[in-house]
Amino acid sequence: MAKQRPKPITLTIDGREIAATEGEMLVDAAKLGDIEIPVFCYEPKLGQPVGACRMCLVEIEGIPKLQTACSTPVRDGMVVHTRTEQVKEAQNAVVEFLLVNHPLDCPVCDKGGECPLQDIAMGWGNDRSRVVDQKRHFEKPTQLSPLIAIDRERCIMCYRCVRFSQEVSEDSQLQVHERGDRSYIGTFDDRPYIAPFQGNITELCPVGALTSYTYRFQARPWDIEQGGSVCTLCPSQCNVSFTVRDEQVKRVIARDNKHVDDGWLCDRGRYGYQMMYSTDRVLNPVRFDHGNPVPASWDEAIGLAAEGLARAGGATAALVGDASNEEGFLVQTIVREALGSADIDSRQAPTIGREAQVALADPAIAARVSDIDDADLVLVLGTDPIHSAPAFDLRIRKAVRRSHTALAVATERPSALDGGATETARYAPGEAANFVSGLAAAVKSGSDLGIAGLLRRAEHVVVVWGERLGRGEDGADAVAALLELSEAAGLAEKEDSGLIEIPDVANARGLREVGCLPDAGPGLAPATPGRDVEQIREGLESGQIRSVILFGVDPVRDLPDPEGWRRALEAADQVICFSMVASDTTDLADLVFPLESHAEKDGTVTHPEGRLQRVRPSAERPGDIRSGWLVLAELAAELGCETGIGSAPEALEAVTRAVPFYAGLDDQEIGGRGIRWQDRRQADRFGSDLAPTATAAGDGSGGRSSEAPAEPSPTTVSAAQTGSEPSDPGTGEQSTEAGVGGGSAGLDGRRPPESPPTAAPGNGLILGTYRDLWAGPVTDLSPALNYLIPAQRLELSVADAERLGLGRGDEVSVRSGETAVNARVAIRAAVPEGTCFLIEGTIEGNANVFADGRPAAVEIGEPEVRLDLVTAGGGSDDDPDGGDDAGDGDE
Amino acid sequence: MSIRPEEIKVVPRGPEPGGMGGAYRAFGETLRGLRTTMGRLFDRPVTIQYPEEKTPVYPRFRGRHKLHRFEDSDLEKCVGCSLCAAACPAECIRVVAAENDPDDRVSAGERYAAVYEINLARCIFCGYCELACPFDAITMGHDYEMADYNRSDLIFTKEMLLAEPIERTPLRGEGE
Repeated sequence: MAKQRPKPITLTIDGREIAATEGEMLVDAAKLGDIEIPVFCYEPKLGQPVGACRMCLVEIEGIPKLQTACSTPVRDGMVVHTRTEQVKEAQNAVVEFLLVNHPLDCPVCDKGGECPLQDIAMGWGNDRSRVVDQKRHFEKPTQLSPLIAIDRERCIMCYRCVRFSQEVSEDSQLQVHERGDRSYIGTFDDRPYIAPFQGNITELCPVGALTSYTYRFQARPWDIEQGGSVCTLCPSQCNVSFTVRDEQVKRVIARDNKHVDDGWLCDRGRYGYQMMYSTDRVLNPVRFDHGNPVPASWDEAIGLAAEGLARAGGATAALVGDASNEEGFLVQTIVREALGSADIDSRQAPTIGREAQVALADPAIAARVSDIDDADLVLVLGTDPIHSAPAFDLRIRKAVRRSHTALAVATERPSALDGGATETARYAPGEAANFVSGLAAAVKSGSDLGIAGLLRRAEHVVVVWGERLGRGEDGADAVAALLELSEAAGLAEKEDSGLIEIPDVANARGLREVGCLPDAGPGLAPATPGRDVEQIREGLESGQIRSVILFGVDPVRDLPDPEGWRRALEAADQVICFSMVASDTTDLADLVFPLESHAEKDGTVTHPEGRLQRVRPSAERPGDIRSGWLVLAELAAELGCETGIGSAPEALEAVTRAVPFYAGLDDQEIGGRGIRWQDRRQADRFGSDLAPTATAAGDGSGGRSSEAPAEPSPTTVSAAQTGSEPSDPGTGEQSTEAGVGGGSAGLDGRRPPESPPTAAPGNGLILGTYRDLWAGPVTDLSPALNYLIPAQRLELSVADAERLGLGRGDEVSVRSGETAVNARVAIRAAVPEGTCFLIEGTIEGNANVFADGRPAAVEIGEPEVRLDLVTAGGGSDDDPDGGDDAGDGDE
Repeated sequence: MSIRPEEIKVVPRGPEPGGMGGAYRAFGETLRGLRTTMGRLFDRPVTIQYPEEKTPVYPRFRGRHKLHRFEDSDLEKCVGCSLCAAACPAECIRVVAAENDPDDRVSAGERYAAVYEINLARCIFCGYCELACPFDAITMGHDYEMADYNRSDLIFTKEMLLAEPIERTPLRGEGE
């Protein structure tokens, strides 16, 4: 729907003329005139106001009774009084009522000092209490969840937390129990509140009723400093503010940025800071002397690294993962300029080619995150935002709930967003390319059915797609098909429309744009083609690459084929690993350099929408850690490549000099909210020196749609649905047509999958893998999040489980060829028949052994080696359904 | 030019030197001063032999701080709310709170002060901490002997502040 231009109006509040816009709430309009109206329950982020607390009563001329300013939209010529006797009396009475049952244990309460109730009671309340009766008593504090303590005595029933749970995160777990003066907040049957965004309610609570265990009694507002930065634990890059006491991060709170995160944080970002103070943190450079770690001085370590790299020379490769733009740029400078190698990659899958990258980065088809809010259609393609970039999940839910945006979800695995989707489609693992090109063909052919129809009809379309789409051998085809789809759907012409990629690593977009790609240099300019991530592994194994720099990457855990990586790193002459924490990879390294965390780093990152944001140092670096840019600049100098970088702003300057469309950016321009490079004047430098752009890349795949369409793959199960019912595997063929938009054009059958799913041996199951939000070192090393560490589980459809005679919690071995992992069975109704899913990156049974985007036909059988858990048969059953997968609330 | 009589001002002068007046002027004030000296000649000395003897202080004298326990339960009164630290203009108080273990309580409430330190080298003895304390857990004591050889020894920990001073400072009595 078109963004309506708000009409400007004027109104009078307390005798002041205020210019506001129509439809704005009175509370917000009053702020424009520096008039404060006290509120408790009003929070625009939560949606429509409810007027529950009655704190914001004001007198409006012409209306006999007092009105709640939070839920009264302003009108032209309105005359409002906020300080009359009548209003004062009402405010006084409201505060008195709120304090009737409030324990006033402010000295003990954690909210003391930053408590709206304290402020409002001081500002608008009476200084004497008339209450002589007994106050309401509850057991306090009790555990609402493993992360949050609830003190019901302090609760003032503003409903903020309940509204968050029901209308923002949509997990609907928090409820108001009882009625009247007995009402209290809780979950059904006092079960723990398990949800991936629960931390937000501690920030929303206007009193000390909801406090997080991690920050309980840690500090008072006058003990702390707030340091604004960006969370780089996932591609959402939410803006955060670190609460720092004694030079240590004690808490992470949201720093509202409506362009990026809408003011919400996921629990990983909120509680993952604990990883910084884990005992596994690398605190100083370490060299390995015959396999034994020996602490090294910085000079010694840099000397050793330079020596080894100089020896290997062009036979050096680099992988970049968790790095800022500056760090990525310096790594590529070292590899390309100092060593003359071309082997550098920041992606986790085989290259999709520079042309495709350029086409994807084209500003014409770039959507903003905020475009999701007002879009007519959001298509989620090949990603489950809850696991890959949680902030997007809330954003999409918000659009569906408030703007009535149509949502289409097309994924391998049932997604958390299915419940609100207008259309859902499932394709079998490894069929992404076929599916997307089929969809593109359907759009081109003018189909009005299913997703294709939605795409054709919608005026504002945002396609949120996952980098995983481009995994596997036909990854490049999938991306080409995606570009074809965006052309067919006319995303470039449609206003406020485009693609947003959800990449695998947090700063993926920035790293690509500064040149961490095997065939593209800074600014995606053509470069001598080098090896991509898989070829680097092969090169290491075969001895063609002798030295490797791993910057913020843990290939043994995160990349497909962990065993292959283990062999590759063992075969290498020198493995230089830059890592924040000790991992399986650092164990295989010859030199380990410590990395800064996102609370310590100074640098820039690029959001998937192209927004450059600044990561600013807030806390002290523990141990003997040095800035990444400094270490890399010194290493480059040691290798004879003088970068002239002596400070963080100079590092940024070097990046902006090298990337034409970043030209002239500095910290000041980036500011606190970041800036999209597409919105800058210099954006027209994009593509000026890059010959093939969107159209050319489209050509690369252009001929495909004209090829003769083949029968749809029987395993591509999809369903059109409107409600929250999970897709029914039984609808088979018919729903494929609805989902993709025309069976004949559905799948072009251009290249049959290597092992056709129908001919799958064994159980006839095709395995897909996904990266769980909680599978990773952040969860493992943050004590608060430890309860979320996922155990490997095999998601099966009901029919397959019945067929195989498996029940929930049964231990099985999942085997494909030589590789096998043990897992416990989890039965999900929404999983399409014929497919099953495992988690990548778990501590035990890491499914990365299968995770290369190729469909793996797996066999499920008795495990050869049983897990220790087997005796504790109920082990996984203790885990309530709500808790077994934070993201899949609508199972 | 001549001086007219009305322009002449007569200035009175003192007596000429010599005689009774002159003698008084020379010795009178001295003798008056000596009278005070002579008058004290047989008084007892007022010197206080510090440190053997101590000056008694007024009851509201603001000396070194004390932390208190409840007399009946022996629990600390301080709950670690940090209000004293907030009130302190010299920023010499540091409080780190922690949660009470219900089985082994330190203070009466949910929280207690795990660390409570006052840097007496910085303290200006204004007594705002005492005023701010909602539980009367900290009061200004009467002890004023805090000199030390080392600045870091002037950081008083919770244990030091909770302990009774070794020697009590004498209090000035009523009307003294």
